[in-house]
Amino acid sequence: MTAQSQTVGAGQPAPTSPRSHWREHLVAWSFALPYVLLFLVFMAGPILVALFTSFTDMRVTDIRNPLDIEITGIENYAAVLTDARFHKAAANTAVFVLIGVPLTIVLGLAAAVGLNQAVVKFRTLFRVGFYLPVVTSIVAIAVVWRLLLGTEVGLVNAVLASFGIDGPGWLNDERFALWSIIGVAAWRNLGFLMVIFLAGLQTIPKDLYEAAEVDGANSWQRFKGITLPLLRPTMLFGFVITGIGYVQFFEEPYVMTEGGPLNSTLSMALYTYNQFGFGNYGYTAAAAFVLFIAIATLTLVQFRLLRDET
Amino acid sequence: MRIEKRLGATLLTIGMLASLAACGRDDDTGGGGEGSIAPQASEVDTSAASGEIDVWAMGAEGEALGAFAESFMEEFPDVTVNVTPVPWDAAHDRIVNAIAGGEVPDVTMVGTTWMGEFATLGGLDPTPANIDGSQFFEGAWNTTVVDGTSYAVPWYVETRLLYYRTDLAGDAEAPATWDDLKAMAAAMQEAGAEYGISLQPGGTGSWQTWMPFFWQAGGEIMGEDGTFTLDGQPCVEALTFYDSFFTDGLTPPAAEDVPVEGRFANGEIASFISGPWMMSIVEDAGTDPDTYAVAHQPTEEAGTSFVGGSNMAVLADADNKAAGWAFLEYLSRPDVQAAWYEEVSALPAVQAAWDEAALSGDEKLTAFGDQLSDAKAPPAIATWEQIAAEIDGIIEQVTVGDMTPEEGCPAMQDAASSIGTGQ
Repeated sequence: MTAQSQTVGAGQPAPTSPRSHWREHLVAWSFALPYVLLFLVFMAGPILVALFTSFTDMRVTDIRNPLDIEITGIENYAAVLTDARFHKAAANTAVFVLIGVPLTIVLGLAAAVGLNQAVVKFRTLFRVGFYLPVVTSIVAIAVVWRLLLGTEVGLVNAVLASFGIDGPGWLNDERFALWSIIGVAAWRNLGFLMVIFLAGLQTIPKDLYEAAEVDGANSWQRFKGITLPLLRPTMLFGFVITGIGYVQFFEEPYVMTEGGPLNSTLSMALYTYNQFGFGNYGYTAAAAFVLFIAIATLTLVQFRLLRDET
Repeated sequence: MRIEKRLGATLLTIGMLASLAACGRDDDTGGGGEGSIAPQASEVDTSAASGEIDVWAMGAEGEALGAFAESFMEEFPDVTVNVTPVPWDAAHDRIVNAIAGGEVPDVTMVGTTWMGEFATLGGLDPTPANIDGSQFFEGAWNTTVVDGTSYAVPWYVETRLLYYRTDLAGDAEAPATWDDLKAMAAAMQEAGAEYGISLQPGGTGSWQTWMPFFWQAGGEIMGEDGTFTLDGQPCVEALTFYDSFFTDGLTPPAAEDVPVEGRFANGEIASFISGPWMMSIVEDAGTDPDTYAVAHQPTEEAGTSFVGGSNMAVLADADNKAAGWAFLEYLSRPDVQAAWYEEVSALPAVQAAWDEAALSGDEKLTAFGDQLSDAKAPPAIATWEQIAAEIDGIIEQVTVGDMTPEEGCPAMQDAASSIGTGQ
């Protein structure tokens, strides 16, 4: 290493014999080796095996003789894509992402902008308050929200009743369940985005706002003209991270509704998980790769749409 | 790069080997074994049992069994029983993993609906001939039988009865037929209950409430030839009857978030169908034991109920099968079964145990005992949980009115047939 840095420091063209290249590679790989090994053994390997499994009819009853399975080609993929329940799960997931991601972003942004200027006094308290759901166990959150959203004894319906409104079954009516879950997810995740956006807001130079103020721009114009454009990279990050998370939404329906009523809160990830529970490993692997393709596509689309246009 | 490539090549080779070796599974699908007494493996000599046995047990049973096994060790001083309590949630996957890896306990508790899966997996040891299958309730013994061979012993059982408020029912007798049940629910609603009965509108496990009606109408889940026979008149009748409680407003239209025991205790719900564990739950919720009764399922073609519970199995890869079977033989003795009932209130699977004083004196318990001689379990096939989930979904669609019973039954049949038996 010392010899090399001296060579570079002297500004002379390094002697590039194939032998030294080889050594450089070896050194680099030896540093990367622990990660590469872990990645290969615990990530790439299982992913490849899962990919292979998705083209077979492997079931739980085959695990003692894993070689005793049949290659079925794309049969699993065809079955997943033609299953009416999978269509329902895909539609639910699409609604969840298309409504939930913008909703969470808007709420997170509103909290961040608000905390960045107005409420200086209790800033820390609010910051902690908004962030607390992010670090709270989803099971605790689900239990609390199930109590709040209960049809007969829920707090939400009790408040509505005091105004003379007969509240619906938030979680056991198929017209409301998915929307309730979207609300809970947005509430739970806005704190994370708030922190990200707060950090983003800190990077915007104060003098831009001052200049705009001098020019007579009101606060909405300042937000539209300065905050939003300069927050674009942060927003892209927020959209991608939240999007990836929301396509795989699983915990909320798993602990709150089990995908019901009438599969109205069944997500693609929960569908896949259920198939795994039934022991249909080949089918599950195929469903998981369909989900993976959906996530990859969504991320690509987001990068295209929100790419820095400068 | 190089390492990656090499490993990639290795993985590819493994993949190719796998595909070469995958020269097809056996296609000999057996019939849907519903025979009464199944062929058993030859006898195991349990008299000289010795050594250690590891036992996995779930729930309250898992916590109590360790101490309970002391009496067994007194009789077999050479055997040490190590009980590991396993939570129910984790049990299924843990047993599957153990069987797959070959690192198994000697004995494990098995939920009745898992039998098909574990036996097809080749993980369970066939029951030896020294265990007499006829001493158990027939419905319970049948849950151990997969493809004509028994792989476990029934340990405790549960069955579903009608719980109803005698103060609301007035002079009415326990319902003898479907019409009686309907009339009774309507009368109790008239007498002041908000709902005459509470039936599950759908969701996980609702098939366990509905399936008895299907059996009562004369239905069978599988025919002798091992094909599903869900579609047909019995199914339509049962679904129509079940749905009529919803259309007539006799049962809550959607799942309630208030537990039924509280609503039963204060008389808002006049009746429901459930298992023996609900006796202590409704009494803890404040129901006076004198104001409610449990009744046999109504009878049409039959008066069948659902039988569930748990079996005890020795694993195929167990180190100490002889001691394992000795332990299960011991647990199946009538007096031991009755003692076990006193320990954890689990209903004995052995018929003779019901003559013991601990059980024969209680009127409500006797009703469960009577029902157990007419109780069935779903076929022990590896895919039953998946089929049951489909049935749950169709029941829900019928009760909310998205589907008619005439559409629901073919849908159940199609779903079950396309899932198959997993062989």
